[in-house]
Amino acid sequence: MFGQLFVKECRQTAKSLIYWLAVLVLILNFFSQLGGLEIMPEPKKGQEEYGFHYSKDKEVIMEATLGALLEEYYRGNYAAYPIGFYKNVTLSGEETARMEKIIKEATGLDGREEIEKAVDDWYEGQKPDKVQAVMAKNLLCKPAEGLSYDRFAELMDQVDDILGGGSNYGEGYREKNASVPMTYEEAMEEYETLIGKDKLSGGYARLFADYMVIFLGIIPVFLAVTRVLRDRRAQITELIYTRKGSSFVIIGSRFLAMLVMLLVPVLALSVIPLTQCVKYGNAVGVPVDLFAFVKYSFGWLTPTIMTALAVGMFLTELTDTAIAVLAQGVWWFVSVFSSISDLKGGMYGWNLAPRHNTELNWTGYQNGFSQLAANRAFYVILALILTALTVFIYSQKRKGRLQRRGKILADRKNKFKA
Amino acid sequence: MSATIKVQNLNQYYGKKQALRDVNLTITTGMFGLLGRNGAGKTTLMKVLATLLPKSEGAVSVCGRNVEHARNVRKIVGYLPQEFSMYPNMTVYEAMDYLGVLSGLRKSQRKQRIPKLLQRVNLQDDSRKKVKELSGGMKRRLGIAQAILHNPKVLIVDEPTAGLDPEERVRFRNLLCEIAEERIVILSTHIVGDIEATCEHIAVLDEGEIIYHGTVSELLHMAEGKVYSAEISKKELELLKKNHIVTSMLTLGNNVMARFLAEEPPFASAKPCEAGVEDAYMYLMQAERGKGACSDNYL
Repeated sequence: MFGQLFVKECRQTAKSLIYWLAVLVLILNFFSQLGGLEIMPEPKKGQEEYGFHYSKDKEVIMEATLGALLEEYYRGNYAAYPIGFYKNVTLSGEETARMEKIIKEATGLDGREEIEKAVDDWYEGQKPDKVQAVMAKNLLCKPAEGLSYDRFAELMDQVDDILGGGSNYGEGYREKNASVPMTYEEAMEEYETLIGKDKLSGGYARLFADYMVIFLGIIPVFLAVTRVLRDRRAQITELIYTRKGSSFVIIGSRFLAMLVMLLVPVLALSVIPLTQCVKYGNAVGVPVDLFAFVKYSFGWLTPTIMTALAVGMFLTELTDTAIAVLAQGVWWFVSVFSSISDLKGGMYGWNLAPRHNTELNWTGYQNGFSQLAANRAFYVILALILTALTVFIYSQKRKGRLQRRGKILADRKNKFKA
Repeated sequence: MSATIKVQNLNQYYGKKQALRDVNLTITTGMFGLLGRNGAGKTTLMKVLATLLPKSEGAVSVCGRNVEHARNVRKIVGYLPQEFSMYPNMTVYEAMDYLGVLSGLRKSQRKQRIPKLLQRVNLQDDSRKKVKELSGGMKRRLGIAQAILHNPKVLIVDEPTAGLDPEERVRFRNLLCEIAEERIVILSTHIVGDIEATCEHIAVLDEGEIIYHGTVSELLHMAEGKVYSAEISKKELELLKKNHIVTSMLTLGNNVMARFLAEEPPFASAKPCEAGVEDAYMYLMQAERGKGACSDNYL
């Protein structure tokens, strides 16, 4: 029964307007982000530039981070992303005094006058070619004599605390201040990793997953909510409740059908960058992993789709309302915006929509792989638990429990239709 | 397995409100009518039988299967709810096929049964029509077809003729009678005419209690000699209404031909009539309310 019902549910999904709107959004998203994708060519000596990367040199990180701090102190306001959203932080007199104390220990600059003079001197002394030395934060500031990296890190943690967290100075974020141009050798190393370790398509599959995961964190909830509410709108809940089919079969087939139907356009779109990778691979004579996009679609994207679907089905079945759209919308918003400050991958955390907005940084991916795997496994388990709970709620409703529209457990109150 | 529905001491509560009171019923093969006013408890009883409501107290078995084992009961019960509908964009055939899958029918079984059933309910030429394009009567016929798709031993039909035109109503009743030849069909309605035309065995529910359980002829027997008709003036009609249950009226110029219930002929011109089910039902309901069919203070 499951297989036949699954096929019928797929057909129902294919006939729904909301599904085609979802497909349209995915297509538009793909072409707006990856439509002009060009496969990275092998770096040639003497090129004008080779791109940028985050420096791992502690001196560079300290100089760039302290430069950024001085600049923000000079302006009188600080940027922070406490839960992923931009926040303009202005300090009180006491906080400014604490900040000045930290700056003094970190740079040796004592008080507002010295700091402002240092900033003014920096900009006056800059020539265009030097400004390009550090892209993300223009200003560089030498740390105080004898300042160790560990002490620097402690001081920056204090700065982050003063700013309320999510600033450019917190752990994991200060390294991002040191975005420096790659040398030819570094660019070659990245390219060889892309070709060798990632077999070219691996890197682009991650980039593809990065763009697709954004909308796949929210779109499925619309599909799930409309599917559940469709029964009520068509007034056929009782008709289905009295059938022989088990609640597991009914809910399970719906869930699987929506998941598969959402993966179809994802896999179809992935053929485009895969073809580009294959063409490039053939042209330069390197092997390409033909299944990379499939692997990333299942491993990276499927848990996100499953979770959004499960949240949609669970909350809609529980409340008989479309509240799941709001709940998932808030979660999605927070997830997407909280990862804005770390798009280059490697720090995936427990984000519903993990980002890796580059075909490069294979090392970051490898370093964060166990974290990513735990993240994805967690969401698969969460989705399965929510789906199991949906089955339970559905089976209770079939027996006349939890049934009153919009009011959970309210069937004991004033329901007298005889 | 006995083709019998047994309801013993069934009590049903919604919070503190009691919807069914100590209901006892035995229903066997054929048409069984469940009659009562709106709010009498019919739908509640039907839902308990269809496993859509958990029983509060008592014992209910459908063909030997306890309703607490919902899945077992669902295999042998077909249900046509009061408001039958389907996904509007599905065709008639698709709707039947979808519900057939949910009933656990194999593809070959569905291919064989669906055309036959559509023919039986006279929808064979409409199988490609979308559900939203069907008339009320056609929808009801589709409802019956889907309810017997898995060849259930019991068919539960809730208020099936509401909103149908007279022709469709007659067609629908006949269809139910045909279906009842091979299974139990429980017809719940507040329309006495539906019961009169189709059922031999009935139960009357009032405020959650079974106030009558027996054959239609036994019910008619109760009202024998209690139904009269008389041609009276419109002024007299008002007085008649105050003291008797008037079951029908036909205006004849300035006069009215009234049919009413009375223990004895209340006046000389009152002629005794043969009791109909509607008369008997009204007599029963009035008796249940503790008021006689007539009072002594007329004329």
